Amino acid sequence: MDIVAPLVKTGVISEAANLWLAVPIGFVFGFALYHAGFTDSRKIARAFYLKDVGVPVVMFSAIVTGMLGLWLLSLAGFIDTSKMYYLPTYLMPMAIGGLLFGIGMAIGGFCPGTAASSIATGRVDAMVFVVGFLGGSILFGDLFPVWGDFYKSDYRGVYRLDELFGMNLGSVVLILVVAAVAGSLLMRLGQHLFWSTPKDQSMEPEQVLKYEVPLVVLALVIGGVLAFFPTGSFFKQDNTSTYYIIQKEAAPAQMHQRQQGPRKTPAIETEPEAPVPTHKGGEGC
Amino acid sequence: MNLRCRFPPVLAGILIGISMLLTFVVAGRGIGVSGMMTRLVATVQHWVLPELTEKSAYFSAYFAHGAHPLNDYLSYLMIGLLVGAFAGAWSCGDFRFEVQRGPRISVPGRLVYALIGGAITGFAARLARGCTSGQGLVGAAELSVGSWAFLLCIFIGGFATAWFVRKQWI
Repeated sequence: MDIVAPLVKTGVISEAANLWLAVPIGFVFGFALYHAGFTDSRKIARAFYLKDVGVPVVMFSAIVTGMLGLWLLSLAGFIDTSKMYYLPTYLMPMAIGGLLFGIGMAIGGFCPGTAASSIATGRVDAMVFVVGFLGGSILFGDLFPVWGDFYKSDYRGVYRLDELFGMNLGSVVLILVVAAVAGSLLMRLGQHLFWSTPKDQSMEPEQVLKYEVPLVVLALVIGGVLAFFPTGSFFKQDNTSTYYIIQKEAAPAQMHQRQQGPRKTPAIETEPEAPVPTHKGGEGC
Repeated sequence: MNLRCRFPPVLAGILIGISMLLTFVVAGRGIGVSGMMTRLVATVQHWVLPELTEKSAYFSAYFAHGAHPLNDYLSYLMIGLLVGAFAGAWSCGDFRFEVQRGPRISVPGRLVYALIGGAITGFAARLARGCTSGQGLVGAAELSVGSWAFLLCIFIGGFATAWFVRKQWI
């Protein structure tokens, strides 16, 4: 099987099609945010009192889903992770930014994505929050020289947890899945201990077990596959392929340097082999 | 509980994770919201003060080579997000103009808190190069050290502040 994803980077779809496909993806995101209860600022804020731990549980399961999906698709040779754009790490600015962000969330009751989706449900406090958010952004931008040096400090490049811990990537994924499950259980225990009768959207234990246990088992199995698959790292520099399973035939030509701006790669080597995208360019953009 | 309008947390989380995974597979990047909001303020400021904005140390990058800041992937994502949330609320009969507040705070009080919280969050998102979705969820799935530090610090900051604003929420 040829590596087909990321679709826009391998030339399967055009840039214009990629932009328009963002609309249905955003739809799923917004729809899920509403159905998670994230359009309610009270629900988000109650997480910080452990009064409703639904918010961190949703976040953990979203991270686990995205993480397992990404690395499993890489393992299966479906997605070329070297063509992905990775967020670089600026450690101190991100840590201080996170602290301030948490303070702002506890006061305002929203983060940008939840506020935007809450506006779409008509909530007025979300509209005011976003006005404040835009104000904070413009303040940061216009007085940039004041904190520009700090903003650019402590640059670590693309820096992943497996590099930090010196472990193989799959093992880190498995540990994070276990940590997410344990964290969710602990937070639920906290909610149960501090707030005797959690009435807000909590469910009966049997119901919870019925749908959650199989999903947790599935996540642990996928994590186990990633962790114990007998190869080195996903990004082993001396390996001819960036993938675990799929070893490409004409290997040396496929070699990508991960760190050097993967989004800039102009001519993609896999393109000639890829099936001719018949629908390309016909999006009417 | 009404399962049609309120998904159980793990299922809702998986759906959010799937939307994130779709952007990985289709676009080779992640979801994000705050970036679009920055582009929005850059656009608005450009209407009022074009010269200043184009020379701004921070916003000038959005106008390089005559580009329009809002002509970006995140804008399309935002359109979908707004429609998706609206569709969810509308189909559940939950669309209404309302100020959501705790039992012990007035409407103006809540709005002042929302404005202050929004401003702090807006500043913080720029400093951290992303918000809960773009930096938090996506970076965490990509195992970025900076994103995990960001996430951890959100919880530290939130729990530390919660006691001081408890009158607003509980």
